[in-house]
Amino acid sequence: MAKTFKGRPIVPGNLEGEALVSKQPFNTTASYFTNMFAGNTKDAPCTDANNAELYKKDLSGAIMCTPQTVGSTMGAGAIMGMNLLGVGFKAMLFSGHIDSIAAGGLIMDDVWNDRKVITVDLLGDEFMEAVKTGDPISIKEDGTVEVG
Amino acid sequence: MKRRDFIKAIPAAALAPTAVSTVTMSANAAPPKTATPQSGNTHVVEAAGKASSATSGSGEVPEFAEHILTSDMDGLGPDGKPNGQTATFSGASKANATADSASSKMELNDDEQAILDGKEGPEKAKLMKILVRFGETFGATKLADLGGAPHSNLYIGAPYLESLIVMLEQCAAAGLKAYAPYTVNPRPYDVYNVQNNPTEMQLIAEGYPLQMRLDAVHAQLGAPDLNFRSCACYIDDIGNAPKPGTPVAWCESSAVNYGNSVLGIRTNRYGAGMEMLCAMLGKAPVFGLMTDEGRKAKWLIDVKTSEEPDWGVLGTAIGRKCVEDIPYIAGVDKYFGGDVNNDNWHKLKYMGSATAAAGAVGCYHVEGVTPEPKEKGRDMLAENFQTYVFDDKEQQAILDTFENLWDDPDGNPTAVFIGCPHCNYEETIRWAKMFVDALDAAGQEKLAIPAYIFAPTVTRTRALLEEPELASRALGAGINVTNMCGVSYSGMKGFSQRVRAVTNSAKNRNYSPIRYFPDKKLVDIAVTGKV
Repeated sequence: MAKTFKGRPIVPGNLEGEALVSKQPFNTTASYFTNMFAGNTKDAPCTDANNAELYKKDLSGAIMCTPQTVGSTMGAGAIMGMNLLGVGFKAMLFSGHIDSIAAGGLIMDDVWNDRKVITVDLLGDEFMEAVKTGDPISIKEDGTVEVG
Repeated sequence: MKRRDFIKAIPAAALAPTAVSTVTMSANAAPPKTATPQSGNTHVVEAAGKASSATSGSGEVPEFAEHILTSDMDGLGPDGKPNGQTATFSGASKANATADSASSKMELNDDEQAILDGKEGPEKAKLMKILVRFGETFGATKLADLGGAPHSNLYIGAPYLESLIVMLEQCAAAGLKAYAPYTVNPRPYDVYNVQNNPTEMQLIAEGYPLQMRLDAVHAQLGAPDLNFRSCACYIDDIGNAPKPGTPVAWCESSAVNYGNSVLGIRTNRYGAGMEMLCAMLGKAPVFGLMTDEGRKAKWLIDVKTSEEPDWGVLGTAIGRKCVEDIPYIAGVDKYFGGDVNNDNWHKLKYMGSATAAAGAVGCYHVEGVTPEPKEKGRDMLAENFQTYVFDDKEQQAILDTFENLWDDPDGNPTAVFIGCPHCNYEETIRWAKMFVDALDAAGQEKLAIPAYIFAPTVTRTRALLEEPELASRALGAGINVTNMCGVSYSGMKGFSQRVRAVTNSAKNRNYSPIRYFPDKKLVDIAVTGKV
């Protein structure tokens, strides 16, 4: 049965797809080593070995569901870099408050480069409890997210 | 998995030095795989997250990645396991924020609205649009006019940062400049004093293909020459030390928390790129650490060590405990004699930078020492603050988590790293004298292993001019002063195979396979070549 959550749209948009879930905070820069340093533009295998849910899975084009992003203050540049390569997320859904590193990268890329990663935050802890990798996701531009 | 067995995260400064990409990004090189979702339309995303085995480009994760360790507040505990830490990097956790209440509506004055409306050109309008949206995301209702001067940590010419570099180039081409001459972190390498060997020169060439473009655009936007590059932008020789209360937008975790805490300036903790955007507008949204409320401490750190604490260990402990919340540190004023000066500032530098590396602390207050608690005392504590006691037992417990991560843990050390963040003139001279005095006492001409003191070029030059005898003796003894970023050097490809380093910086230890020791022990190691 589908569950509906109402969050805050940071980069608004409509999208349907499947969830990719990281229950632990997603470490942006740790996850893209083959893209950042090895020139990989074909896919985006997660390189963060500490993230058991995602390690080695393809992040490219995913709808990422996670509490928040963490890691280096170069994360904003990494987000923009992945979008430039065409292997960035299609959407990021946060249960908690977006951090300033991700917010900077996502908003800069949206406004400056017209590259939109649909982003919703503050979906609440229940969102993370409910969503599982592979679940169908529907995102509305008002920040409504339907899972299942 | 044992901590640091594999990739953890990327320290801001160590991202580029290790880059070995053979495929350089360019604006037109890699079109998006699918159409970009647009507001108002629904697009369908195919399943992602399938196991990935194929890669393009050079494919495998380069070997240096195995030696890039932890990162600013990476959400990992000392055991290397996720600990659930989160932070907004805005200086205060927003645990109670809700979707309905978190955003604000920015109230712009006429000048700001004119910029947003494009009266000063399309580039500046875009920058303003970004800044307004960013500020509203964090609840800001107004923009501050920035004073002093900016500081940027966008210093790495790595391929993945091309998108940001291109944005700066487009701004420069439109004639935009920072509102004041600004400072920038040191370059990630030093090909004159340290890395003038074929192996490292090749790694630098491969790892920083965009370095000259980045340096050039900084010059166009108002940065001074490379002799003034430093992460410790606030020291006398660099001179970017705005007056207390000055609103700025700085990026570099150690400078942000030294500036907020010791100088008393007001800046949030920005991700790379946003600080340059603020610099070109001369504006920053007022929230978090720029507000009185956002500067109140949620933690009382009660230091009860029997002797002067190990400042790096104390900072690491605070970072792990407070994450991004502000600590109010009591019990250490006796180690400052009532004043922060050029001879004791390094204690706060090493402590503060460690809080920002092990956690995401953007501001700290030291009772009887830093400006705000000096004026307001414990009124700087927020309601319902928590208390953390740091005593001898706790100090040892934290120190015990500082593993020996050398590839050959039983080998002898091969280099001593002093300073991270950069040393000022007084600290540079003090360390040079400590090494030289120890050599004289031991009847030796040279250190057993080289020592690298990280300091800006202007400080190195000043030492040559003002202490020529000491400088000559030190250089002959294997004591090198280098202007590069120590963390970047430690993140170089194959570093841990080539170097078994020891350091006095808990920040650098947090990011690198370097062993941490007290000052006197480091001098002994440098003279004897043994731990």
